[in-house]
Amino acid sequence: MALKIEKTFQVPEPAEKVWAILSDPRKVATCVPGAQITGQVDEKTYQGAISVKVGPSVTDYKGDVQIVRLDAQAHEIEILGKGQDVRGRGSASMKMTGRLRALPDGGTEIASVSEVNIVGILAQMGSRVIAEVSNIMFDQFVKNFQALLKQPSDAPESQGMAAREASPINATSLAWEAAKGLLRGKS
Amino acid sequence: MSILHKTSPEVGGLGHPIKRKEDLRFIQGKGNYVDDVRLPGMVYGQVVRSPYAHARIKSISTEEAKKLSGVLAIITGEDLAKANLAWMPTLSYDKQMVLATGKVLFQSQEVAFVVAEDRYTAADAAELVEVEYEELPVLVDPHKAMDPGAPILREDREQKSNHIFHWEVGDRKATDEVFQKSAVKAKVQAFFPRCHPAPLETCGCVADFNRATGRLTVYMTSQAPHVHRTVFALVGGIPENNIRVVSPDIGGGFGNKVPVYPGYVCAIVASLTLGRPVKWIETRSENLQSTGFARDYHMTAEIAADSDGKMKALRVKTLADHGAFNAAAQPTKFPAGLFSICTGSYDFSNAFCEVDGVYTNKAPGGIAYRCSFRVTEAAYLIERVVDVLAQELKMDPADVRRKNFIPANKFPYKCALGWTYDSGNYEAAMKLALDKISYQQLRKEQAEKRAKGELMGIGISSFTEIVGAGPAHTFDILGIKMFDSCEIRVHPTGKAMARMGTKSQGQGHETTYAQIVAQELGIPAADVTIEEGDTDTAPYGLGTYASRSTPTSGAATAMAARKIRDKAKKIAAHLLECSENDLEWEPGKFYVKGAPSKAKTIQEIAFAAYTNVPPGLEAGLEAVDYYDPPNLTFPFGTYVCVVDIDKGTGEVKVRRFVAVDDCGNIINPMIVDGQIHGGLTEGLGIAFMQQIDYDENGNVQGGSFMDYLLPTAVETPHWETDKTCTPSPHHPFGAKGVGESPNVGSPAAFVNAVVDALSHLGVKHIDMPITPWKVWNVLKEKGVAA
Amino acid sequence: MAKKLTIHVKVNGQDRQADVEPRMLLVHFIREGLELTGTHIGCDTSHCGACTVLLNGKTAKSCTVFAVQADGGEILTVEGLNTDGQLHPLQQGFKEEHGLQCGFCTPGMLMSSYALLQRNPKPSEEDIRWGISGNLCRCTGYQNIVKAVQFAADKMAQGGVR
Repeated sequence: MALKIEKTFQVPEPAEKVWAILSDPRKVATCVPGAQITGQVDEKTYQGAISVKVGPSVTDYKGDVQIVRLDAQAHEIEILGKGQDVRGRGSASMKMTGRLRALPDGGTEIASVSEVNIVGILAQMGSRVIAEVSNIMFDQFVKNFQALLKQPSDAPESQGMAAREASPINATSLAWEAAKGLLRGKS
Repeated sequence: MSILHKTSPEVGGLGHPIKRKEDLRFIQGKGNYVDDVRLPGMVYGQVVRSPYAHARIKSISTEEAKKLSGVLAIITGEDLAKANLAWMPTLSYDKQMVLATGKVLFQSQEVAFVVAEDRYTAADAAELVEVEYEELPVLVDPHKAMDPGAPILREDREQKSNHIFHWEVGDRKATDEVFQKSAVKAKVQAFFPRCHPAPLETCGCVADFNRATGRLTVYMTSQAPHVHRTVFALVGGIPENNIRVVSPDIGGGFGNKVPVYPGYVCAIVASLTLGRPVKWIETRSENLQSTGFARDYHMTAEIAADSDGKMKALRVKTLADHGAFNAAAQPTKFPAGLFSICTGSYDFSNAFCEVDGVYTNKAPGGIAYRCSFRVTEAAYLIERVVDVLAQELKMDPADVRRKNFIPANKFPYKCALGWTYDSGNYEAAMKLALDKISYQQLRKEQAEKRAKGELMGIGISSFTEIVGAGPAHTFDILGIKMFDSCEIRVHPTGKAMARMGTKSQGQGHETTYAQIVAQELGIPAADVTIEEGDTDTAPYGLGTYASRSTPTSGAATAMAARKIRDKAKKIAAHLLECSENDLEWEPGKFYVKGAPSKAKTIQEIAFAAYTNVPPGLEAGLEAVDYYDPPNLTFPFGTYVCVVDIDKGTGEVKVRRFVAVDDCGNIINPMIVDGQIHGGLTEGLGIAFMQQIDYDENGNVQGGSFMDYLLPTAVETPHWETDKTCTPSPHHPFGAKGVGESPNVGSPAAFVNAVVDALSHLGVKHIDMPITPWKVWNVLKEKGVAA
Repeated sequence: MAKKLTIHVKVNGQDRQADVEPRMLLVHFIREGLELTGTHIGCDTSHCGACTVLLNGKTAKSCTVFAVQADGGEILTVEGLNTDGQLHPLQQGFKEEHGLQCGFCTPGMLMSSYALLQRNPKPSEEDIRWGISGNLCRCTGYQNIVKAVQFAADKMAQGGVR
């Protein structure tokens, strides 16, 4: 199934600082819950993995992330990530476009449009679960991204690199959050 | 014909609502369903399934799975291919992969079969089988299946196309001419969504190959055990006398248990390989996602009529989505089943119908679900388009129907698409239904409510359906003619045993067949034991589906009983020392004409059959009959549904539902009513709640009960039933089938009611399932949502 | 395979003991461990209710309970409804009112109805429909099941049976 998620959020840091992180898949990956970059194929292509746990079942996707377009002038990035479940139970792909806009108060607005496609057992659980899980993942990404921005820029790279073990997102708690969100009337 | 003799309630012949004989074991939890079968040394099988709708298999690794303690075997398509078993024939003369080789064609397709000591280990091992896939473009829109550039799904076919068949019947030219000349034309595009029979018991088997005897016994959820035995013999190369198929108690069939599924074949192969009984029971998700679905017909119907509402011609075009393999279970000559009954209850001078079947990346099928071979689709279509015509002409839908019914004196009636309807009295059924529901009053109420902005609708469905396949000259499945059979044996003490080639999955055969014997021989139904489902003992039959048991095996039972009666007469004459011509019969005894006290009961005759037969006559009192029905039977009825629509939520509430059915002479009215209640409830689910849909990637939506909704006791309204009786002239006791009528006739009644509630707003049609969301959107569009 | 645990349960009045894996579902334990096959499995998402039993006096969908969770408890299955070889009024009701066709949902229906009548001996039709709303039936359309429960309620009120 295809899901389109559009999210916009703001950070107090200037556009150049934000761009430094957003244009680096290795840094972005550290903000995505359960994800890690495991290697680099060429300057545009990285290998990655993400682990999603819903209840007792874990789905591990392995694949690659490609930078399709990088425009340092306009501060726009388009990446395409594709992965297959290592146990052959499905696949997922995501095309994400991120655009920065400098705000009058010196901060930055990040606008992202993501198209997520899920094939396989996870997709059978119904689009409503996937949509909510995706939303929560994105919210957590935003939090991580904001935290990373606040770190001093000369922090050792190893902190953000694949060396850190990616802990699988516990989507049961995510789903609970989602349910609470629905009840509260959050979109 | 009417029933000549009425039996007493103690004997319990036709017409008596006797309580069911089979109930005792079920109410005590002592049913014997396939999953209850436990054999020494039995092991468990589990299927590994594809998550992709269309993908090439690059590799399958069973190494990790085999390491698990307790795993006995893992079978893949490659293994089966060595024994020429990777593919098997379907009941539609197509073929289907047992386990995938090369590529997979639908999500949930069978890819490997794991056998382990217990079901938990089997499940663990199935998770450890690693399959590498390369995704291929997916085709889920049947309308695109024949486009140039559409992915070709079936590489195994000689003709590289997704087009399976084109079938047509009727006179295209003459029909088109009538359309050109007609003042009024009504048209509807009606989609009958893919749904699933979902019997409460899923499919499964225990395959038990005994190495010592060389015999294979398969306990199986099978609605047609003999046909399955023959298929296993032909496909597996096992001598047919060494195969025994046993259908024990079956927890609902509705057509889901007619096809042969890969799980059965894998279990048999595993048992042959291991020499141990192998049990395979699918989960509900597997059942919904891979076994025989129903419908998925994209239909267009047009009626050409005069401005006074007289219908002249019918033109129908349908696109049939069969999924990845054409595994539809239907008679050979009818790739679209009996869909050409779509002229329904109406007298059309001309008609033309064409159907094109295509492949898509979806589960294979697709005839099932109490449909009588596509009659559900046909009845829905004609009843919808007649309502559309009524709306066009601003005529009352009851009036349009009445104006066009085949008159009661025109039977047997040959319709424009070739069927000869045996008997019917449509007007009488409709009158009873409309009177019962106070139709005129309802129309008045509707007008008043409309003035106040309230939404209320009345839907009528005056269906005619066609059941009891079928005569040998036209009907066969895989070449086997669609007769059916009965064998009766009367014991010395006057009790009897009878076996048939059909197989009940809840229809009450242990009671109803006994009642036929009771009617014909006067032996109390309580004294007649009925057995079905064991191919070692039951005479060959084609099974139970398409409402065929009463028309075929029921007839065979009557005929076999009459053969016994003929022999009984000879014995009676011998005992009473008179000529056969001097004897009269009433249920239970022969008596001398004019001297009724000189009589012999059937029990006395039975005893004499073993102790005192006339010279020259064989001992014993038994008979077999293989019945070739001269025609199908055409049950009919009128259903009327009243709905109220909530403008705030779009929820449709069924306020009343009256069902008048006519299935000719009835064996057990209590059982018939039960069938009607059940079928109407299925129709309710289909009309308002159910769909097996696929997204653009071929992911199944509706693959578990989380999404595939079944009505509970709360959603189900109270059903009001009544009957008219127009016997079948060619059936031995004037009966027709009835089990599927409620599922055939009701969807149109529900949909017509909803559309009728909104017709004043210009709504002409809403496709099923009519969910509150759908209705609310229509209300919003029309500006009346609260 | 995980280490097995020993559980003690009282089933239909009899004390039973067995060693089970922690992940073993109660329904499998009942059907295979105890060889009581009256309780059925009809789905894999806890919707259908074919597996309904009474656990410590309350209805439970035994497919969604682990056998170890029943340790120390009491289970009543359909096989335990007979008293002294006599059919329970509910069982009689299902037969008299044609409340079953294929019989697969019947044990679950009986257990849910039993629990319903325990807490509400005089249920209205609506009460009954809500009371069995956790049990799916594909054959009967529920109408005669409602009548069966009403039959039992009347009989039990007369005869003082519980």
